[in-house]
Amino acid sequence: MSEGDPDTVPPLTACSTCGQPVVATDQFCEACGASLGASTSGAASWAASEPATGAPAATTPLPAPSLRRCRCGGAIDADGFCATCGLRAPSERDHFSEQPTPDLAMVCDKGVVHARNEDAAAVAAPGERRVLVVCDGVTTAVDSDVASLAAARVACDVLASARAADSNAPAAVVEHWTRVLIEATEAAQQAATSSAHPVGPGENPPSTTFVAAVIDGPVLVAAWEGDSRCYWLPDDGTALQVSTDDSWASTQIARGIPRDVAEADPRAHSITRWLGVDSPGGPPSTTSVVLDPPGWLLVCSDGLWNYCSSADDVRALVGDRVAAAADPLAVASSLCDWANDMGGHDNITVALARLGGPDPTPTRST
Amino acid sequence: MADWKTEVFENEYLAADATDVHAIVSIECSGAGTAGQSGAAAEVIIVDTSGSMSSPRAKIMAARVAAAAAIDEIVDGTWFAVISGDGGASLVFPMTQANEAARGKAKAAVAQLDASGGTAIGSWLNAASELFSSVDATQRHAILLTDGKNEGEDASVLDSAVEAAQGVFQCDCRGVGADWDVNELREISSALLGTVDIIPEPDRMADDFREMMRTSMARGVADATLRMWVPQGAEVLFLRQVAPTIEELTDRAVEAGALVREFPTGSWGDESRDYHVAVRVPPKPLGSEQLVSRVQLVVGGEVVGQALVKAVWSDDTTLTTRIDSAVAHYTGQTELAVAIQEGLAAKAAGDEDTATQKLGRAAQLAAATGDDAATNRLKKVVDIADAETGTVRLKAKVAKLDEMALDTASTKTTRVR
Repeated sequence: MSEGDPDTVPPLTACSTCGQPVVATDQFCEACGASLGASTSGAASWAASEPATGAPAATTPLPAPSLRRCRCGGAIDADGFCATCGLRAPSERDHFSEQPTPDLAMVCDKGVVHARNEDAAAVAAPGERRVLVVCDGVTTAVDSDVASLAAARVACDVLASARAADSNAPAAVVEHWTRVLIEATEAAQQAATSSAHPVGPGENPPSTTFVAAVIDGPVLVAAWEGDSRCYWLPDDGTALQVSTDDSWASTQIARGIPRDVAEADPRAHSITRWLGVDSPGGPPSTTSVVLDPPGWLLVCSDGLWNYCSSADDVRALVGDRVAAAADPLAVASSLCDWANDMGGHDNITVALARLGGPDPTPTRST
Repeated sequence: MADWKTEVFENEYLAADATDVHAIVSIECSGAGTAGQSGAAAEVIIVDTSGSMSSPRAKIMAARVAAAAAIDEIVDGTWFAVISGDGGASLVFPMTQANEAARGKAKAAVAQLDASGGTAIGSWLNAASELFSSVDATQRHAILLTDGKNEGEDASVLDSAVEAAQGVFQCDCRGVGADWDVNELREISSALLGTVDIIPEPDRMADDFREMMRTSMARGVADATLRMWVPQGAEVLFLRQVAPTIEELTDRAVEAGALVREFPTGSWGDESRDYHVAVRVPPKPLGSEQLVSRVQLVVGGEVVGQALVKAVWSDDTTLTTRIDSAVAHYTGQTELAVAIQEGLAAKAAGDEDTATQKLGRAAQLAAATGDDAATNRLKKVVDIADAETGTVRLKAKVAKLDEMALDTASTKTTRVR
């Protein structure tokens, strides 16, 4: 995604590869992922994604390369290629996953077209609490892959280590987690701004979207900046998009511009809020829902929802994937594969929590 | 221990839907040491003593001197023997471990060589195979000298003798004079991982033999195998050695697993060999990168060198339209070899039009690839009016030796500049 003030977006030029509009100072084209030659910093290495200063170290070690497998099922050889189909295996930064408990998992994948994976995610399951954080680094800025990972991990740590609410009353729980989520967002903002290398002249400083969800008993509280989303997908009842995008398109729609006109605009995907040095600031948007399990909580980046946006469509898609395997990690992987099959035009991150016991599918029909 | 260096030359960028990947894999060995250092080496010298070798008499005289010169180069501890060949094979000097005394006795024996009888190369090779099998050696090499065609036995005898010798010993073949068959010796030497060359005049024989034996004794790496992995669904279009000589290896593949095939390369000294790898893979989405082939050199079960041939699909035509200069060079050199061989075959068959056209193309390719040696050999067979357009005229009078020299050297390649 690209970022921009709702009204004063920087001047647009055309990508030399695909012709889509791009901001003159961008490093990579938002539409096709081609390098725009604006900077020489190139892809940040995994090592460089350890925060430079101030931010905490990784909460969960990444899987060793030898344990990873290619999408075709083949083993990954010492040179980083699939020993069966020969495809270049994604680097540890380009594809990683976590599953702290059987009901919670996330998968973060580079996708097909983009040169780097600037998405990040972190999940945690202290006790009965479930924490899901997704960050989508802004492609057009330097070191966004570093910023997004640092932000996701520090926010997840804050939410996982926070004490419980003093009361079990839903209102108290919501109030407590809303406060902690604002703290977590501030910590993420701090990590995103301090993790990066110095930014050269003409370069955008690293920036990232942010969405965090905490499930405490029946209560879901979410906070976000940007257009990474949180969905509640109950097995029965109404599917819900919990978050509302901070994007140029939603701003216009809120002002009464028809949705189809707003979403067709080249600036539709420009986000209006984000984390990073040049963040517009202010507290995150927050919301809460009292959940009615069983169901799936999905937190994802636009690499997924670009192909499947409405809550009902997302629930149908997840139901379809669950039919093959109901394990959250398998479902999350399968959703990434699906987005890649749809073209993989952007980085893809899927974090999933299963609430109210294992999904009874494959017997359930969707 | 030998040091190995591998390099890959390719344009890995493929346009959308492109499937064919061409690469030159260059493998260089240094510090190879001496033959026999990793297990005993064995040498057999096979000297044609058919009746024609005494006409002129200078030939058999030169063969005696040449055999002695080769014997002088055999390092101590190497097993060696000498065979004389005519309508059958005779043991001139039995398998013995080399030392000063053994070399002296062997030289005395070859000084007695005399010529009479026919030419039955298959029986010579069979005798050599038997000699090699009688000793415990890990590195086995023969030098075969003849001045004539294989006439003393059925062609099938030679074929099965070559087949039986494959994997038993390597064989460098030399033809002296103008009465031997270039194709016949080329097939033998190629199958037995050796070289073929012409010795136009008998007096050059000793130098050539000395050189061949020196080269063999400097091959400290007894045996190396080229191992080639390609991904599932890929098709190996060909694997061809392109330097120092052209050798089609595709059909010599030995399956070594579902996706792996191996090719024998024989022994190595301090040298470099280039291989042209061509693989067809199913096209992948733009932006995908994949390994198209992993080429490894294996010595004693250990991988000593590895080259990765890759493909990246791109819609950037400045990247995808580039042709790698090494691939282009060796593609031209391979076509040059074919043009020379087909041109000479057409000429021999009396088809002057085809001969003129093929040798014209050869002159064009030799010029284009900067192969001055080939141009000079071609000039003895054709008058080159315009190398750029490949316009040539067949010479009215051509020495048979010059034609044979052109044919024999057709598979020798020049390096990329």
